[in-house]
Amino acid sequence: MAFVWARLAFFAGIISLFHAGYSAAQHRAYMRVTEQEFTSLPTDISIQGFLSLLMAMYGILYIAGDFKEIRANVQLQNKSWETVGNRPTFYTFAHRGRALSPNYSPPKATRSPLDPIDSLAAGPHHQE
Amino acid sequence: MSGRVRTRVDRGTGEVVAYSDAAVRNNLAVIEYCRTSMAALSGGTAGLLGLTGLYGFLFFLVAGLVLWLLLLVKAGNRWQRFFVSRQSLLTSGIFSGLFTYILCWTFLYGMVHVY
Amino acid sequence: MAELLLDSDIRIWVFLPIVLITFLCGILRHYVSVLISTQKKVDLTQLQDSQAMIRSRMLRENGKYIPEQSFLMRRHFFNNDESGYLKTVKRASAPQPMTDPNMMVEMLKGQLTNMLPMIAIGGWINWTFSGFVTTKVPFPLTLRFKPMLQRGIELVSLDASWVSSASWYFLNVFGLRSIYTLVLGENNAADQARIMEDQMSGAAMAMPQDPKAAFKAEWEALEIADHKWALKDVECDLLQKAEVDYLVNSQSFVNSS
Repeated sequence: MAFVWARLAFFAGIISLFHAGYSAAQHRAYMRVTEQEFTSLPTDISIQGFLSLLMAMYGILYIAGDFKEIRANVQLQNKSWETVGNRPTFYTFAHRGRALSPNYSPPKATRSPLDPIDSLAAGPHHQE
Repeated sequence: MSGRVRTRVDRGTGEVVAYSDAAVRNNLAVIEYCRTSMAALSGGTAGLLGLTGLYGFLFFLVAGLVLWLLLLVKAGNRWQRFFVSRQSLLTSGIFSGLFTYILCWTFLYGMVHVY
Repeated sequence: MAELLLDSDIRIWVFLPIVLITFLCGILRHYVSVLISTQKKVDLTQLQDSQAMIRSRMLRENGKYIPEQSFLMRRHFFNNDESGYLKTVKRASAPQPMTDPNMMVEMLKGQLTNMLPMIAIGGWINWTFSGFVTTKVPFPLTLRFKPMLQRGIELVSLDASWVSSASWYFLNVFGLRSIYTLVLGENNAADQARIMEDQMSGAAMAMPQDPKAAFKAEWEALEIADHKWALKDVECDLLQKAEVDYLVNSQSFVNSS
């Protein structure tokens, strides 16, 4: 919400700045046509210029983005243990969980009598 | 992850404070954005007002000061959470936008006052 | 000082167009360079090599925190004469940067998007808008700036703060640079993303120049690294510390009561 207001302030400031510039140019041309000596801008144009500068700057300040906390521990406070304790070096991929993958094919090894897992896994399907 | 972390010893209390590098860089980028915008806008205003010579450069310094105040207002009373020091916020890179300022100043001055 | 009165048509047809042309060309150049630049791809084997190097270095440095058997097992993976990673993987020597055609194309693209438009548009502006006094800088300048600011008009009596059209173009080219970073968020965003990427992969991006030599060096270093078990007396240390703490606490408890 604040962002919308900042944009509005910025654009209003820029337009107002352009308007002040146009007024100043008109004033300058008028002075030249009427052959008067140019001393200084009318006060209202100057004030409009200043105010629109401040307004546009205020808008820019919020368009530019937010500051972030620079103390490192503040960022780390929101991290869970799963993130902080992540140790890629200690990953193990060759564990028995891979048998759960749908495209896992068990290695064709010599069957030993102490290894009845295949028959157990296939058992219920055969009975249906 | 949060990227690298830089440590710095606090002068007052002597304890080590760790700063997150990415956050510091983010803040610097925000400040740089504001500085460039301020240089362009204030240059335009200076040209519009028809400031010449030394007054224009004075206006640049005043604009830098105003920007500092605005940044402090934006940071609020918790500025210590975002910046290491307030002084360096004012002084560091205050002249980085000088060329942009001069260009915009010349441009608007030419548009409004020369012709 | 005699005030010069310029025709206000110069403002509309010379002064403003130069600013607009410079600005829009800068934006166009940015998008063209985004279009034709190719994403730098990381070679898979190179990434593999650098990750292996990192793992080996970490093993050397922090191997003291894992049991000796684990250390030997990991070293065996890298250094074994028959099947070790550092021994068996064969990589070609580092390619020369100049002979790499991709590198040449990249350099050519950079030249094409940076130098060529600047020269071409500068020449065009010089040709189209030559010989105008466009504007006046709002501060006094010494005579030394005359050749810089009044390129294209040789008038001895003209004050140094007047700017010719060609010089106005060059002022724009140099002054608008920071405005581009303001307007083109993508420029900034790309930089940010690149920094983030560097942080993410850390040293993995810094690929060894010559993988063969790097592997050899790493193999040697790992070979002479011996395992010194850092947690040997850790239980005793812990118990001792607990005991001391307990004693100190009870002492203070006695004192206070």
